[in-house]
Amino acid sequence: MIRLTWLQFRTQAVTAAAALAAFAALLAATGPHLASLYAASGLSGCHGGGCQNLAGSFEAQVQSTGIDAALYVIGLGIILLAPAVIGLFWGAPLIARELETGTSALAWNQSVTRTRWLAVKLTVIGLTAMAVTEGLSLMQAWWAAPLGRAAGLGAPAGALIQGRFTQLIFASHGITPLGYAAFAFALGVTAGALIRRTIPAMAVTLAVFAALQIAMPLWIRPHFAPADRTVIATSPGNEAGGATGPGGDTLTLVATSLPGQPGAWILSSGPVNAAGQPVSTVPAACTASSIENNLPDFDGCLTSQGVREAISYQPASRYWPFQWAETALYLALALALVGYCFRRLNRRRS
Amino acid sequence: MTAAIETIGLGKQYRRTWALRGCTLAIPEGRVVGLVGPNGAGKTTLLGLAAGMLAPTCGTISVLGEPPAAGPAQLGRVGYVAQDTPAYARMRVADHLRLGAWLNPGWDGELAGRRVAQIGLDPKQRAGSLSGGQRAQLALTLALAKRPELLLLDEPVASLDPLARREFLRGLMEAVAEHNTSVVLSSHLVTDLERVCDYLIVLVASQVRIAGEVGELLASHRRLSGPRRDPGTLPAGQAVVEESHTDKQSTLLVRTDEPVLDPAWTVTPVGMEELVLAYMNPANDIPARRPRLGVAS
Repeated sequence: MIRLTWLQFRTQAVTAAAALAAFAALLAATGPHLASLYAASGLSGCHGGGCQNLAGSFEAQVQSTGIDAALYVIGLGIILLAPAVIGLFWGAPLIARELETGTSALAWNQSVTRTRWLAVKLTVIGLTAMAVTEGLSLMQAWWAAPLGRAAGLGAPAGALIQGRFTQLIFASHGITPLGYAAFAFALGVTAGALIRRTIPAMAVTLAVFAALQIAMPLWIRPHFAPADRTVIATSPGNEAGGATGPGGDTLTLVATSLPGQPGAWILSSGPVNAAGQPVSTVPAACTASSIENNLPDFDGCLTSQGVREAISYQPASRYWPFQWAETALYLALALALVGYCFRRLNRRRS
Repeated sequence: MTAAIETIGLGKQYRRTWALRGCTLAIPEGRVVGLVGPNGAGKTTLLGLAAGMLAPTCGTISVLGEPPAAGPAQLGRVGYVAQDTPAYARMRVADHLRLGAWLNPGWDGELAGRRVAQIGLDPKQRAGSLSGGQRAQLALTLALAKRPELLLLDEPVASLDPLARREFLRGLMEAVAEHNTSVVLSSHLVTDLERVCDYLIVLVASQVRIAGEVGELLASHRRLSGPRRDPGTLPAGQAVVEESHTDKQSTLLVRTDEPVLDPAWTVTPVGMEELVLAYMNPANDIPARRPRLGVAS
């Protein structure tokens, strides 16, 4: 059965290997350039506040070459798309195409039970899917390591330098790609078994996978652990800002980083008064346009009026627990889908 | 002697419609059985259930004394060629034979190779570029080389031209004679089966209209023609299968185990096609006589 699986899967396997090799060659060719920019930036030996400026100029340099910035985005895109592509082209046709073309009558009438047929196919192709996706991720993580180190040194977030908790990076580095690949593949197989036609199964696979990938960082991942809360003084670094709206000046505060907590994932932030209750309007004392248009003055005025910024966040130390939790969640979903496929294949028959 | 296929109250429902319902029959072992019936009679469903491709909604079915597709051993004992004789379009003929060898412990590689050569298939050719007849032959080769005890063929010749049809059936008969395999093949055309079957089952709307050895069936049916007469006046031993009347003449197809002695009748023997058509015709109210199912004792 393993030999048959290989015979039927080898075209896809060779395609995947070629894609991996091309990706590796591209990154290997451009990686040293990025590393040399990092070495020249002096970031490796910096201390304290000086790092921020060095990181800023490093990022500017990476941006200026254009090609590295493009490669970074393309690389992340490929890693994020790989599970979906696998689910669509390896998962959905696995059972659906057999049923559609009638070859299920051939496959399932040899001296091999359906359970074994499915077990071998799922194992061989599923493990390949996970290995390919994680391989892409590891290669890109190696390539992008200088950017990650710059972020870890407390560099202000920019287009390229972003914390590990940022959606794009959390979902493409670490071990989450393993979970995504396993889940997308199992989802494709299940959709195919249910719908029995390849193209609609592919469409459903894509829709469900995309929906979950959007829902995960928005509504599920923030709750893997109760968020930490803190209240800090408003400061220009925390992006205090007032906006003039109808019926009074509305006040919003958006924090992008937390002093003393580099790499923390900020879930929400907003102004509160001295009693800790949320406020939504600029205190009357600070509404003069001379104050509002000068950020340090505005912050000072807010502070004197007792307005502070409340932030809920996940500290950077929870990165790996969150990686494990998310991967485990996706693997558990994948196993549940696979279990359903076995039951369905044996109970409903063709 | 166990039955090749035995069903009791077998039914298969697809959403609202029943493809097969209340089907009770026994198909004897060691014979070439023709399963005939109009489209929609449930032949394909019955064979699919026997091959384990489908799961019954109700009733029971046993194949060679075991539930269908019960395990690898049972799967190996039954060969199945589905209606459209499927093959993997992108795999070569030789790959199909390797598939068979890998997945079947009882694989007869010599038989498979010999058949492929005989049919004239190019092992390097992809199955997708085979003609319908060649693909049917390939599917049959795969099923035969498993060395099954029972071979299920669902309308295997339906899509073939007359020449390919003859070739296919000849190949089938050679292989079956060599290994004494039981065969059940379905068709809605009697002419396909006439030459190969020694046992016949007529299935209409899931019900067995008649079943028996071809020779016995032909011997026990007569066509009577003579002056117009009410069929009710026939002797008790003569059951009317089909009747047609003109003003002056009556023509009857009767089933009887005794010779027809009434000199008013012109008695002629019945051909298989004629017989099957009479039993398939829904207009004919077949006498309520339990079909002799059966496993010859």
